[in-house]
Amino acid sequence: MSDTLTQPIPANIDAVPPGRGLHRWSILIVCLVWPLIWVGGQVTTYDAGMAVPDWPGTYGYNLFLYPYQTWLFGPFDLFIEHGHRLLGALVGIASIVAVAFAFVSEPRVWVRSLSVVVLIAVIGQGALGGARVVLADRTLAMVHGCTAEIFFTLCVTLMVVTSRWWWAQSANSPRSLLQVSSFRPSGGLIALVGVVLALAYLQVLLGAQLRHVQPTASPGGFKHLVYTHIATAFLVLSLAAVAAWKLRSKAIGRQVRSAAGSEKAEANQNGCGDLTLSRPAMLLVLFVSLQITLGLATWVARYGMPLFAQTNPSMASYLVKSQAFAESLIITGHVATGALVLVTSAFLLLRLVRANYSRRPEWVAS
Amino acid sequence: MDSYFRIAGSLVGPAAIFAILAVAGCDAPPGSFNANDLYAQVVATRQNSQPGQAAADVSMVMESLFGTPDAPKLPNAIPTNLVDPENLTRAAGPVYSDEDDTHFGIYRSRCVVCHALDGSGAGPAAALQNPYPRDLRAGVFKYKSTPRGEKPTKEDLLAILKRGAPGSAMPAFDRLPQEDLDALVDYVIYLSIRGEVERRLIQFAVTEMGYGDQDGAAIDSERLILDAEGKLTDPELRQTVSQIIENVAGQWSDPTPITVPPMPDFEGDDLVAAIERGRELFHGQQANCASCHGTNGNGQAVTLDFDDWTKEFTTLLGISPGDKAAVKQMRKLGALPPRPISPRNLSWGVYRGGDDPETLYRRLVAGIAGTPMPGLLVQEGEGSTGVTLDQVWDLIAYLRSLGDLQLAGTSR
Ligand code: HEC
Ligand code: HEC
Repeated sequence: MSDTLTQPIPANIDAVPPGRGLHRWSILIVCLVWPLIWVGGQVTTYDAGMAVPDWPGTYGYNLFLYPYQTWLFGPFDLFIEHGHRLLGALVGIASIVAVAFAFVSEPRVWVRSLSVVVLIAVIGQGALGGARVVLADRTLAMVHGCTAEIFFTLCVTLMVVTSRWWWAQSANSPRSLLQVSSFRPSGGLIALVGVVLALAYLQVLLGAQLRHVQPTASPGGFKHLVYTHIATAFLVLSLAAVAAWKLRSKAIGRQVRSAAGSEKAEANQNGCGDLTLSRPAMLLVLFVSLQITLGLATWVARYGMPLFAQTNPSMASYLVKSQAFAESLIITGHVATGALVLVTSAFLLLRLVRANYSRRPEWVAS
Repeated sequence: MDSYFRIAGSLVGPAAIFAILAVAGCDAPPGSFNANDLYAQVVATRQNSQPGQAAADVSMVMESLFGTPDAPKLPNAIPTNLVDPENLTRAAGPVYSDEDDTHFGIYRSRCVVCHALDGSGAGPAAALQNPYPRDLRAGVFKYKSTPRGEKPTKEDLLAILKRGAPGSAMPAFDRLPQEDLDALVDYVIYLSIRGEVERRLIQFAVTEMGYGDQDGAAIDSERLILDAEGKLTDPELRQTVSQIIENVAGQWSDPTPITVPPMPDFEGDDLVAAIERGRELFHGQQANCASCHGTNGNGQAVTLDFDDWTKEFTTLLGISPGDKAAVKQMRKLGALPPRPISPRNLSWGVYRGGDDPETLYRRLVAGIAGTPMPGLLVQEGEGSTGVTLDQVWDLIAYLRSLGDLQLAGTSR
């Protein structure tokens, strides 16, 4: 694979299949970062961010040399905080390897740069986490939580742009490898999903404000944050639903036409429109719905059953349990699912942009 | 190449947000406890005067006596078996823990979102709760074993912390280690004493000193002034302040639980009969529970009432809780919007204060402090105003039958 570099670079660089290694490796990173967000979320849910007072070491030990007995069987807070650091370090190492992969096998300069950006981001993210500990600063903990989601989005971006799907969209690529639909998403649709992505990140910021609320914050401010968070959630759901419906409606439209008898063969072949776009859109709607459900559950787990919902004895007897494990999974699950909403909208947006770019009529014709 | 710019472009936004957060990215240190401006206004309104600088000056005196959220102090008049200084420092201050799993800053980690740094009950998350978190500063507690006007015992506080209050936001903290719970109980007492001393001092400043008058505050001898060592300059005032602390702390010294006489041994037909008598009492004139709790305790009776923490700054000052403009003035000083208190739906058997016969007995006899829920007048023989001991047990038998609890059975 490395010999791609020695070959003359073709005019349309997108046409060259990127090395599969970088793509597989970036999938691995994505699969590590999501658990990392879970563990980091648990650190906040349990308020365990200061369970290890020093950084980058752990109680004077080098991060990797801290006795595993104390880590695994010591205090729970130390278990998650140190575990978060170890997993973070693992992701850091994986990012270094990704850069190596990129420079060996990736012909596109901008993708190589992206891998470097991912590496810089993970280093910055680690440093931010360290600053949070060293300065014992809760606001930095919040910033660290918000930048984690940006990092996750970057990793997913790397994954998408190195995928087979991505380069198969190129006009010069051998189309037989992947069935490429001729459906070209409109600029409006791209803008719509762009708004969903922006709102999804706004939700991350709002949620982080609620989770990392300062002891001196005003009750009025908190209340408004909650209302904004809820209202935005339903806005995201409706916009995502519109996007999914638009992507879906092409297929429905075709089916309608095929029912009318014309273009039957094509309709059968493309019965579901472009699945590579409609599926992520459906997934997005699913994740947003799940996220709203988890959000309500998180409220209840933290602040009890709202009075209007106390309509029967089991609802009215709901007891908030501090530090309960099942509840902590709901609360952290809300954070982790929020990250999924964010990266799924990023994933969809990237694919839409790519499809829009590569399926221009003049290209498709050629 | 132009996708390159797209990606670069998509980074600019988050990077800008990041930069803003990073610049603003430092905690505002809690500094001092908030002054109790609301109570100063309440006292002044009662007096038909102005609070002036009273709350701020008292707050300064309070800081010299009780310290700050990060560095609390214990005045000498508070015995260390009531508030252990070690517990105090452990519960206060910023959150961290060590390799031995000792936790510090427990109050800030577990309680502050609801009860606020100063224990005012107006923490960040308070506005969306019903009932609101307790304002610990008034020194009034609902779920306790002692007579209505008395302080709870340490065991009572420990019990509510462990049990939580189902149906409200108050969590159960039974997963915390005992030392942490003990530290929290001590800290609750510290905040409560601190808050009550502050209230009394404000009351004193507004009514007895110059703060209430238009120009009195200009005269030094009429104001609370600290010397370089942080002591009140006026020896007489110093005396008054220590007296106040002693009085408030004294109330906590040994609160005595209401003695619960042995419960009759209801069984079989006896139990059925007791429940029937209890039902009659519940709906009858003497106990009159149904007037608030509805037929069979179904919670359907129409009532409009408020708890004492709310009444203090509304009805007791002649302000209607529905009077938005007047209430707004109070909210600016830290009050939460008034919320009506509703009598519990007893047919569901959900008890925030515990559901064993003994605590139910005490709750019926003492009522629930701070709320409209009255206590029963227990008398020797049968009468038209009070109830007898046996009748209290009949009521309890009835209550527990409502919630499908067996009288002799243990808590669910
Ligand atoms: C999620 C919000 C919340 C948190 C967190 C919380 N509380 Fe509460 N607390 C409440 C509410 C609401 C009430 C009022 C319950 C009622 O009136 O029935 C309350 C009541 C109390 C009471 C008064 C009980 C009585 O008998 O009147 C005490 C004491 C108390 N809380 C202490 C604590 C301590 C200590 C912590 C931290 C370990 C804590 N609370 C954490 C919401 C909270
Ligand atoms: C003036 C109205 C009023 C009357 C009369 C009244 N209650 Fe209540 N009761 C209340 C209110 C209000 C509450 C809720 C207090 C709270 O939420 O803190 C309450 C709460 C209770 C509770 C729930 C305590 C808990 O742990 O959750 C019980 C039990 C109860 N009342 C029993 C009775 C019985 C029995 C009588 C008759 C002897 C009675 N009440 C009479 C107003 C009343």
